Amino acid sequence: MTITYKAKLALSSFLLTFSLMAQTEKLQDEKELEVVDFKSIKKVLQQDGLSEEARNKQKQVKILKKEQGKIETGRYLYPTESELWGFVSEYWLIKNAQLLNWDFEKPDYGLDKSFSTTLENLGFYQKKYKILLVNTPSMVRAGIPGDNEMILLLSVPFIRSLDLSKLEISLLLFEDFVRLDLGYFKKSVTTEKMATLGGSNFKGQKPDMVLVEELLKNYDNQLNKKGYTFQQQFEVTKKMDAYLKSSPELWNAYFRLLGKIDRFIKVNVQYKYYIRLYPSPEMQVKWLSPEEKVL
Amino acid sequence: MWWLLLLPTLVFAETAPTDEKVVGVFYFKPMFGHVHQSSVRTSASLTTIQCSHPLKVIESSKVSASPEWAYVQVADYRGFVLRDFLSEKRPDCFQGKYPKFFDAFNLDLSELYYWGRLNDHYIQGETRVK
Repeated sequence: MTITYKAKLALSSFLLTFSLMAQTEKLQDEKELEVVDFKSIKKVLQQDGLSEEARNKQKQVKILKKEQGKIETGRYLYPTESELWGFVSEYWLIKNAQLLNWDFEKPDYGLDKSFSTTLENLGFYQKKYKILLVNTPSMVRAGIPGDNEMILLLSVPFIRSLDLSKLEISLLLFEDFVRLDLGYFKKSVTTEKMATLGGSNFKGQKPDMVLVEELLKNYDNQLNKKGYTFQQQFEVTKKMDAYLKSSPELWNAYFRLLGKIDRFIKVNVQYKYYIRLYPSPEMQVKWLSPEEKVL
Repeated sequence: MWWLLLLPTLVFAETAPTDEKVVGVFYFKPMFGHVHQSSVRTSASLTTIQCSHPLKVIESSKVSASPEWAYVQVADYRGFVLRDFLSEKRPDCFQGKYPKFFDAFNLDLSELYYWGRLNDHYIQGETRVK
């Protein structure tokens, strides 16, 4: 009897433990199922604000990718027109370094101060410029555009031959400043490609170097062959007259300077080309002279 | 006690070689330039550097130069650069803004040299604000 009771008790306790174990296992499965079941986590995630976080992350990645794309595309840009002028002008100076012979020890004419003073006296403020003295008689003077500034070239042999004073050098530079400001150089040198390509993008292709080659050719042509027309020179002289009239000292110095250049280039074969490029000091003197009344 | 007289000399001897300090790291502004052997615009070039290149500006009692020049160290070279060409902040360089356009020029050594020289030869100015 006792044995039967004990056996029953052992059997029932075994069954109870087994059933309990089976119950625990089922619960774990259910838990696993819940983890796999996205719908049930969704609620938890939403409650924790994690899906919102995921959306924000996605947005951030999108923005970052867009920015990265923009930066990559930006690497294939042509410079803007203003930057292109500055770059090509300097590239032209590099390409012509030996011909222009600007890499030499220069005399100190104190031009930084004297030219700035002349400009300021005439009311030109916040103007940036670079002066490059060249050691050749074959390029007397030139004004070429920089990036929001002017690059002015002037020949030291010419300055020495005419024994120019600081003021006369400044006036010569100022005339080139005015000529450049009137836009004749840019009008004559610019190309269709420059207008269309400046600031544009060339991603997926090679940059069109003809753009620069054409400009360099036009620089050569303008500065060594074509020069300026009588009409353009007339406009420049009249502008100079208007600017300098308020300062008789400067006006007289300019008038005398033109006469000096006129006499000099007429007797110096080396500078004969000057009249072709900048016609002509003789006419400039006439344009400035008061009209004679015929009685 | 005679050795006390020698003490200042010994102290000086110890400080003399270290009598220089790095003022700071500056960045080169123009497109190209040179580190010069002496503080003269036309002096020989020790090395060519380009825009945004970092330079250590050094102050040393052994080196004297006019105020417009800075004594700098670039890699193993020590020389002079015009102060106007230095910036405390990394400058906005043409070659950095338009890298693919600039690379297409494939500038040779002579062109790099002359471009650096060009910046040394410019007489630069800006009229004041009214």
